[in-house]
Formats: sequence, C-alpha cells, structure tokens
Amino acid sequence: MPGSKIRPVDRLAQAVAKCGTESTAYGKCIAKDFNNVYKDKCLAEFQVLQSCVLKHMGKK
Amino acid sequence: MLSAGLRFQARHRPVHGVRLQFIIAKPSCLRHRRNLAIATNTEPGGSSPPNVRIGSAGSFQVFDRRVKGLQRDRAAKNAEESRKVDYLRDEVANRLVERLYDINRSYEHVLDLGAGACHLARALHRPCTGLEPFASRIKHLTSTELSSKLLYRDSDSDIIPSKSPMELTRLAQDEETVLLAPPSQGGLFESNTFDAVISCGSLHWINDLPSVLSGISRVLKPDSPFLCAMFGGDTLYELRTSLQLAGMDRLGGVSPHVSPLADVRDMGGLLQRAGYKLITIDIDDIIVDYENVFALIKDLQAMGEANTVLGRRKSLAGLSKDVLIGLEGIYKELHGRAEDGGSGGEAGIPATFRIIYMIGWKEGTGQQKPLKRGSGEVNLKDILGEQSRLG
Repeated sequence: MPGSKIRPVDRLAQAVAKCGTESTAYGKCIAKDFNNVYKDKCLAEFQVLQSCVLKHMGKK
Repeated sequence: MLSAGLRFQARHRPVHGVRLQFIIAKPSCLRHRRNLAIATNTEPGGSSPPNVRIGSAGSFQVFDRRVKGLQRDRAAKNAEESRKVDYLRDEVANRLVERLYDINRSYEHVLDLGAGACHLARALHRPCTGLEPFASRIKHLTSTELSSKLLYRDSDSDIIPSKSPMELTRLAQDEETVLLAPPSQGGLFESNTFDAVISCGSLHWINDLPSVLSGISRVLKPDSPFLCAMFGGDTLYELRTSLQLAGMDRLGGVSPHVSPLADVRDMGGLLQRAGYKLITIDIDDIIVDYENVFALIKDLQAMGEANTVLGRRKSLAGLSKDVLIGLEGIYKELHGRAEDGGSGGEAGIPATFRIIYMIGWKEGTGQQKPLKRGSGEVNLKDILGEQSRLG
C-alpha cells in the first residue's frame, strides 16, 4: 500500500527542508548572477548543502 | 503580466506523515471578469514551441503519448491522492463553464475532449449564483480521455447527481487521434455531430494541434462553438527556470523538464488556420502556493502531469538527485514569496499556471461576418472627434 512506506523522494524532501540555511546560501549564490551560470559555479555551497542533506537522510 | 490572476493557496500540512489539506477559494460563478483579448493580441516574450508547426500532419512528435497514458493511469490508481489534486483542473473547468454561460444556447450533444476525471461534467453541475447549473442546458455529454483509469476513477453517481437532466457517456479514446477520421475510415464520430466541443486542460499534451483542431471542426455542426482551456505560455515558468539553473550548475547543461507550451498568439493563428470564425481568446493566471518545491512536483505527478517530452532524461525518475537538492534553494531565492508577505510570512513557493481560454466557431449560415473592406459608410473620425488621434 502506498503511504505505509516513505518514498525516497519524501525522505529527500524532509532532509532538504531541514537544511534551510545551507539551501538558501546555495540559492543566493546561483541567483546572484543567474545569467552566467556554469558547471560547478557554486560547488562549495552545494557541497555544504549536500553534506547537510546526507546527514539528515542518514539519521532517518 | 497581461492578466490579473486569482491567487489561492494550497497548504500542505504534515498530517499522518502524508501531506495535504487544500484551502481553495470557493468557486463562485462569474466572479471575475476576464481580460478579453482578440486573436490578434500579441504577448511580449515567449518563444514559439515546436509543437505548433502549421500544416504538418503528425510529422513532428514532441510528447510521448503512450507514457502520458501510463502516467495518468498510475496517477488515477491512487484515487485518493488523485482527488486531492483535482483543485487545479476543477478550477479551470469552473472558469470554462462561466464562459459557457456567455453563449445563450442549449445543446443537444456536447463533446468533452480530454476529460481527465470528468472535471467538466462535475463543473457543469455546480450551481451558479442565481443561475441553474449549466447541465440543464445540455442533453448529452460525451467525455473522451486517453487514460481509462483516470476517466473511470469516479462512479457516475459521484460525478453527476441522480436527478441530472444530462446524460454522460465516457469513452476511453486518445484525444489526439479520436477525431481525425470519419467512421468510414475507422473513426468514431461522423462529421457534423456535436453542438459544441469543449476541451479543458488537456490540449497541452497534443503533438499535432493543427490536425486536432481541424478534427474538432469536422465533428462540429455548422455555426457551433469550440471552447477550450489549455495550459500555455508561462505556465510553471518558476519551475522551468529554477530547473535550468540547477541543471546548469550541477550537470553543466539543461534538459527538458517542463514541456514547451503554446502561446496566446500561436493559438490565435492556429484557430484561424483551422477555419474557425469569431475567435475569442483570453488568459487567466492561477497562482498556487506550495509548501516547497517537492510538494509542487509531487502534486504534478499525482495529476498525471509529469514530464513526457521525448528526449527527456529517463534515469533517476528524470531528475538527478543533485538537481533536486539544489532546486529548492534556487526556487525560493528567485521566486519565493516570503519577503513580499504574500503568504503571510510563510516561506512557501508560488507556481503559476497560465490558462488560455479560447472560443472559436465553425462557419455556418447566419453567422456574423466582417463586412467587406471599404464598405463602411460612416467615418469613425466624425464620431470619435479629433481626440481620437493617438499620440
């Protein structure tokens, strides 16, 4: 039955929601100059965000 | 922005681990006057999507119709979730029914093309302030829909009240092909069958719009209207741009996640090319607030509106995990509404749905026609005076 198990994407959503500050920092970095985005432009910010998300996903 | 849209909110509350509790502005008929624009209206910006090439008979494929059917089947299988996301198409159907009231007619036989879960049939039975439900003016409604699971999600008694004067027939048929051929060539409907054709929120998945539009014109009786509401233009532009930026940064390029959509001026041209007369087009923006971008994507999925652009990424459910992680921050930063107080300090995100409403008439005798060029006998300048000069 759907609903009895949390879908992986929901776990991801919950984890991202817990990393508000990191998420905002990454968003700010991209939005700062959004006409000129290239690969790994905001790598540092993303790595911080990613490790936060992974941490919260691991706890579940 | 061209039209002033209505804003209603969909709030997600984490009840029992699942979400969802929608507070939707109560649909009331004839509540908002629309910005009317005639077919010649041009809208700034926007690019011509590839699915509106004129005169190409099915040669250009943008969407995977088979997958679209599967997505709708899957969405409808979870009927409870599917009903929770009816809010958008129900609202669009209600607004389309308002436009039906503008035409002072009764109809014997009406076709609903791309019915979804019979949103239109339901909307026809909603009472309108001071007016009878529109269903009293329709004898027979035929609803066609690509996905039979979605079409038959609800039983007849859930859709129409038992005393309804309107008969409902449901046909699981692909709206892209059902009208193309007459019965002599294996089709379903004779030419000149319907007193009106209505399509509500499904034409944006059609590959070959010109053929479908002329198919509709074929089954219409002369001097009968075609009414349509379709998602177009800037629909989901927030999601589109955020996904592009996230894709650029994480993957170094963009892939199509949000469909190319027809623009207002595209539709005007297409209707004209398909031979419709007295064309009226107007647009409405519906802005829905979501808790976060995952809630938006989940709702789109539950509507069966997930991506089916051919050439989309197929691995990892289409979206890479890195892109998903980064998406939320970008969306909130670029489009979030926390600062302007739009959602009362809650850091929700808005999603715009731009709906193009169209009315076109099949040519018939006794229909109003524009006068011949140069046949005017009154000089407009005399009536309007000198002030009429612009500038």
